[in-house]
Amino acid sequence: MRKYHYRLLSIVLFVALFLVICMSLSAGQYNLDFIQVVAWCLHKVGIPFLTDINVTEQQEAVLMFIRSPRTAVGLMVGAGLAASGAVLQGLFSNPLADPGIIGVSSGATFGAVVAIIIGINSTSLIGLPISAFIGAVVAVSLTIGLATRHGRIPVLTLLLAGVVVGMLFSALTAAMLTIMDDHKVQQYLFWTIGSLDYRRWEHVLMGVVPISLGIIIMLMMARHLNILALGEAEAKAVGMNVTRYRLLLLAVATMTTASGVCITGSIGFVGLIIPHMMRMLVGPNHRHLLPASMVGGAVFLVFCDSVGRMLLTNSEINVGIMTAILGTPYFLYLLRKNMDIR
Amino acid sequence: MEKILSASNITTGYDKNIVITDASFDVGSGEFVGIIGKNGAGKSTLLKSLRGFLPLEKGSISLFDKDIRSYSQRELAVQIAYLQQQVEMTFDYTARDMVMAGRYPYMKWWEQSSDRDQEIIDACMKYTGVMELADTPIKAMSGGQRQRVYLAKVLAQQTHVLFLDEPASGLDLFYQEEIFRFCQEMCRYGKTVIMVVHELNLAARYCSRLMLLKEGTIIADGKPAEVLTDSLLTQAYGVDIRSLVNKETGHVDIFTVPAPDDGHKKELIETIIGDIHHGKDGKN
Repeated sequence: MRKYHYRLLSIVLFVALFLVICMSLSAGQYNLDFIQVVAWCLHKVGIPFLTDINVTEQQEAVLMFIRSPRTAVGLMVGAGLAASGAVLQGLFSNPLADPGIIGVSSGATFGAVVAIIIGINSTSLIGLPISAFIGAVVAVSLTIGLATRHGRIPVLTLLLAGVVVGMLFSALTAAMLTIMDDHKVQQYLFWTIGSLDYRRWEHVLMGVVPISLGIIIMLMMARHLNILALGEAEAKAVGMNVTRYRLLLLAVATMTTASGVCITGSIGFVGLIIPHMMRMLVGPNHRHLLPASMVGGAVFLVFCDSVGRMLLTNSEINVGIMTAILGTPYFLYLLRKNMDIR
Repeated sequence: MEKILSASNITTGYDKNIVITDASFDVGSGEFVGIIGKNGAGKSTLLKSLRGFLPLEKGSISLFDKDIRSYSQRELAVQIAYLQQQVEMTFDYTARDMVMAGRYPYMKWWEQSSDRDQEIIDACMKYTGVMELADTPIKAMSGGQRQRVYLAKVLAQQTHVLFLDEPASGLDLFYQEEIFRFCQEMCRYGKTVIMVVHELNLAARYCSRLMLLKEGTIIADGKPAEVLTDSLLTQAYGVDIRSLVNKETGHVDIFTVPAPDDGHKKELIETIIGDIHHGKDGKN
């Protein structure tokens, strides 16, 4: 028999969240001590602790306008990606599903390339994100359209359609790249490896509404997701309108992921690994799994970003690279471990 | 007896592949109906079409004198619980999570489970004897335990009608009989059970009525004693079958009579056994 320690786990997750936020705020080329950041954070939320430690005006500016928005974007996108991943895995009752698999990433990348070619990314801050968002939505709609037959969406067909659409959009992106100028290819590369660098409060504002809305809807749908995860036949037997809920949850997960990816560029593994990891800790019930994945995703992404900034002295490693480097071994470990059990 | 479910001249199947042709019957409250027939006779298909999972080519099905197609999915789930033949689970849900699914049709989309739901779930799990397994993942259970959890789930749906597709297959003798006993008891309290059965001996003892299917047609429908005759069974299963009343137990025993040996068999068996056991290759 297994008992999950929800309370202990939530305390651990929130402590980790706080530590990771402070770590992210203190990491980087401009010098800030960890303890200074801890004090600053506590003072900001009105806790009079470590009152003798303060920050200079310049440090305050760095914290407020460079590091805070960057950390906020990381938290937001990490939470959104992991929650969407958990939703998609439940929705398809397939533990290997992630937001990339239904075409979100390839669609967003294509949208980004189009924006770079037209040049709207240099004239407006929101040009590229909007174009990437549209690309993602178009790709997912195409996937769903291809997979729907007689008002039903069979899971396997949907996953295969996702692969096909993904390949189509990758091909289109590749075609665009061959006709692009070198400096534009550079911009594309910069975008395609997800990064939190130079993200400002405007980026946070752009994403905060759709991502929080998406997460709230997902949390409200947790009970329905539990039924969907039992498989189509079971869901129908207890009277669920499977197609309606699948479409709704797909739309919400797409919106949330696309809103994240269009701000940061594509970041892999968060949506795959975090729900997996959390399922081992809190079990498959989505009422616990979704909140845990959210916090876990935020912690993981910001942690990866901070480590990426601390490893090299005069440069940084993009967060997309870090998530893959830290994520792959863990995922392999999970696979091996599961193989041992069965 | 109150009429609950009635099928008139239904013809149905998967896409263009017609499996059931022209089936008609009425089922009343408190009946324990066993659907029997050999593999591929269309037993599960009949059950699925009665639940409204398959489109009807011809005919109609009515539940409480109302066409089944006029019910919404949720309304149907409150009237009929359906236990499929094989539940495939990807995630490690616990018994309680599974039984909770039975309460789904009673909740509005925004509602969470109430204390009353919990009470019903507990009662169902206690009744089928899986309360101690409430927090155990279903994957970690034996077949018999699992089937009892699923039974608790369909009971938690609190429906008039229970559809069970081979709930006893692959279980130990004791568990098989227990499932029949649960169903019999439920029927005494006015529920209606329609079950696809393979275990003819148990069907003979527990079901109040049997329907015998052959190639998608109901060839007999009535009390077990009327249906389980040598000639009907032989016709339906395509092999020589005898049914006898065991004088000691009073139960019906059903068994097949092997086809006469046509001489080919010996040759085949020699090929299968091979040479090694005769020591011809010298190693033995």
